[in-house]
Amino acid sequence: MINELHEDVRDCLQEVSNVAMGQAGDHLARLLDCFVVLSIPHVALLSPSEIAMAVQNVDEHNVSGVCQGFIGGGIAGEAMLLFNDTSFVDLAKLMNYDLDLNEAGEREVLIDATNILVGALLRGIAEQLDIEFSFGPPAILGQHQGLDKLLSSKNVRWNQALVIEVNYQVEGYNIQCDLLMVITENSLERLMKKLDYLLD
Amino acid sequence: MLIAASDNMLNDFRWILDVVQNMDVGLVVLNKDYNIQLWNSFMQNHSAIPADNIIGQNLFQTFPEIDCAWFQRKVESVFLLKNSAFTTWEQRPYLFRFENYRPITGKAEFMYQNSTFIPIKSLTSETDGICVIIYDVTEQAVNNIQLEKANNKLEIISKTDGLTGLLNRKSWEEHLAREFNRLRRYEEDCSLIIFDIDHFKQVNDTYGHSAGDEVIRQTAKIAKETVRKTDFTGRYGGEEFVLLLPHTEVNSAMVLAERIRKKVMNTPAVYEKQSIQYSVSLGLCGYSNNFKSRTAWIDAADQALYQSKQNGRNQSNIYSG
Repeated sequence: MINELHEDVRDCLQEVSNVAMGQAGDHLARLLDCFVVLSIPHVALLSPSEIAMAVQNVDEHNVSGVCQGFIGGGIAGEAMLLFNDTSFVDLAKLMNYDLDLNEAGEREVLIDATNILVGALLRGIAEQLDIEFSFGPPAILGQHQGLDKLLSSKNVRWNQALVIEVNYQVEGYNIQCDLLMVITENSLERLMKKLDYLLD
Repeated sequence: MLIAASDNMLNDFRWILDVVQNMDVGLVVLNKDYNIQLWNSFMQNHSAIPADNIIGQNLFQTFPEIDCAWFQRKVESVFLLKNSAFTTWEQRPYLFRFENYRPITGKAEFMYQNSTFIPIKSLTSETDGICVIIYDVTEQAVNNIQLEKANNKLEIISKTDGLTGLLNRKSWEEHLAREFNRLRRYEEDCSLIIFDIDHFKQVNDTYGHSAGDEVIRQTAKIAKETVRKTDFTGRYGGEEFVLLLPHTEVNSAMVLAERIRKKVMNTPAVYEKQSIQYSVSLGLCGYSNNFKSRTAWIDAADQALYQSKQNGRNQSNIYSG
């Protein structure tokens, strides 16, 4: 078990994420025809109970969340996207959805937005690490709930994980969302090796 | 590399074609103009359209049921981000409307599908097409839907009283707790009514327990018919009922209480051709922030009920402090 993240490693991961975010922002801007404001990625080793604390900028009482699993090159994890519930109307507008924003409509917007945001970021990361990820279909964690309820899992099977947290805002739209990339403990060793190549 | 290099590449290529053709998953390749380039046997068999008839045809013209704008939006992101996209049966039950794989014993009338859209690169590494993979997830979908139905049913059962269909005591108290907490923050009008059937033991002793059940059932029915949609009606104990009336001042609650009392008085219960005349006594109490707990509030309504009993039954009284 790795108890703490070496500063070099953290910096490197942060840099890798930053570069990936830059690319992602560019792709998103072209796809959605808008300007995406991205925060500096925050990298930390966290325990399950600490994850909720890593989430900033979303209203902790009214959140909808989606997760998507990814795996490749021995590195596995889940990306979680948490949207402020106030974001829905603008999110649908941004993605050119003229569907009814009932529960099913919201699910559709959530899943598609997740796929786009997660895919854009992870592709950039995978490219730098020279791996390819397979993605599972996005799954809804919950709609219009408290953050604690959304992230609570009765059978947590892990002690700590590497979390990369990024905040997205879209200029001119009321959209607030947080993306958490949670990489499993078992993947850390492989990830470190990949990062070593970059550090050398 | 997808396959091991070998002296006989042609042979390997045949293998791959064979696998693609025969795997029990739908594979469709589309070019940038949404013309179909590949249509494997899963697609042929389920759509009853042979590959020869469909290769080169436009997807939307052949399958007008596909939402063109939605589909293009998905594909656009695949082309631009070189990234897979997904749709699950929970979003849309299917992409292509196919018959259930088990037309005889299957429970679903069509095949539920998950689909994945993946970019296909040409030799120059440009994305020049997409592959749509169709998974048959009917079993999973049907199981999930049934589980959800069963859970909803169980939830209703666990909250209702079997004899009357009213809320059972536990779930009524949950509503009360929620309302009480809300009232402490935003002081609003809200009233409680607690009532029971007068001389219920005599009904049981005279006509039998089944007749007693009928009296309880009818009382519940009258209460249910009289209250508004926003009120919570519960069976609190044997012959005891409770009403929680949000946004209701106690004098308005009195109107409702009297309506119930008079209706009960004028509607004898009928059990095995015997007409059973009976009455109810009611106690009311409006919310005030003097009540430090919800039990204190219920106790106050109970005292008003006690007063109705003391004063000769078949009447309603408001708690006077």
